[in-house]
Amino acid sequence: MSSFNSILGVFLRESKIHYRSFFHILSIFLFFILSIIIFVFAVGSNKELFNQIGVGIIWTIILLSNTLSIKKFFQNDFDDNSLIIIHMSGLSYEIIALIKMLTIWMFLQAPFFIILPIAFLLLEMQFDNLKIVYLSFLIGSVIITCISAISGSMNLLNKKNFSIGGLIIMIFSIPVIIFGVNIVNVSNNIEIIKAQINILLGIMFFFLAISPWASGLCIKISLQNK
Amino acid sequence: MKFLINPNRFIKFSDLVFKPLICLSAIFLLIGIVFAFFLSPNDYQQGATVRIMYIHVPAAWIAVLTFLIMTLYSIIGLAFKINFSFIINSAIAPIGAIFTLICIVTGSLWGKPMWGTWWVWDARLTSVAILFLLYLIIIFLKNSITNINVSEKITAVLIIVGSINLPIIKFSVDWWNTLHQPASISKLSSPSIDPSMLRPLVIMTIALMLLAIVIGIIRIKAEILKRKLR
Repeated sequence: MSSFNSILGVFLRESKIHYRSFFHILSIFLFFILSIIIFVFAVGSNKELFNQIGVGIIWTIILLSNTLSIKKFFQNDFDDNSLIIIHMSGLSYEIIALIKMLTIWMFLQAPFFIILPIAFLLLEMQFDNLKIVYLSFLIGSVIITCISAISGSMNLLNKKNFSIGGLIIMIFSIPVIIFGVNIVNVSNNIEIIKAQINILLGIMFFFLAISPWASGLCIKISLQNK
Repeated sequence: MKFLINPNRFIKFSDLVFKPLICLSAIFLLIGIVFAFFLSPNDYQQGATVRIMYIHVPAAWIAVLTFLIMTLYSIIGLAFKINFSFIINSAIAPIGAIFTLICIVTGSLWGKPMWGTWWVWDARLTSVAILFLLYLIIIFLKNSITNINVSEKITAVLIIVGSINLPIIKFSVDWWNTLHQPASISKLSSPSIDPSMLRPLVIMTIALMLLAIVIGIIRIKAEILKRKLR
């Protein structure tokens, strides 16, 4: 029971921190909207073109805006030693990573469900596809959160090269982009959609299994050599 | 087999086998080049361009094999706390990267006359390109963390996570319809390649593997000495 209490405590603490850094979260979504507007200006407002490549644009920008939030995972708690204190309350690093992933998903990924229709509006895309994009994003966002957790924990002691975290996220999310975007292009065939969803689910469960272990291990190594 | 996990034994063992390995790799490379250029027949469709295969295929095998060795050593190093495995990882990562680059470059040189294009986005080519980028990210990540104890362990974690790419590379030609041909040698039934072409391919594979091992020994020894100096 006590471990459940401490899990709940950490969860509430994380939620409170995210709630108070509201403007940072807001700026990430502003980045998303601005990138889409810049894309429209760069390519030109062409309805047919955006119906073809719009989902790809949206997925790419979601991925890029996720690279902005790597530092939010563990860096602050690592710098002020809160991670050790949370660990001393009886939670393993893997559980801490899992709780962090859950809160990050709630506060940084779930709001995309509200913003995606706006992106659809801005790109003048058909709203028929929105359901499938929601479905693929529901699975894909979990995968991206897992990858961001791995990347964020790997760069705790990295003071020289800040872009490498984004590189790690981008290289591992290539399969997510491939299957997440491909779902929309084959949207008339229900069997192929099912196959793609199954592949995405497989990737999601793989990363759900591996990322608490990997980020927990990386946090442990970094804390030992701080 | 202690020399695989103990640096001092490794130096002793490598001193013993280093010169014979150089001689062997030179001999095999010479025979292989003679076979590849003069004693093997032209393909009835591809003509003389088929000779690119004798570099392309061994380079690809070595690229994948290097990553496999790095994965195994990462698991051993993290599980049993053997520091020598991290030395090996950082020593052989550039070798794997170079052989992947050789594989990609020769592949596109072969693809231009045969497929009519330098590059296509097919599953095998894409996964090998990802392998190359993974090698680069591994090397960058290792160099961007100043504390060497942290950097080598975190790189090992990245290698283990990145090793999901290996089965994708191997089976990409079976899972998807690719322009790249499916496996013709490393499969369960007998190889579907003519013996006159298989012979130079095997010799070149042995030669390039010996060459990679020689370079690997030099790099591992240099890495051990570098750490001893510190």
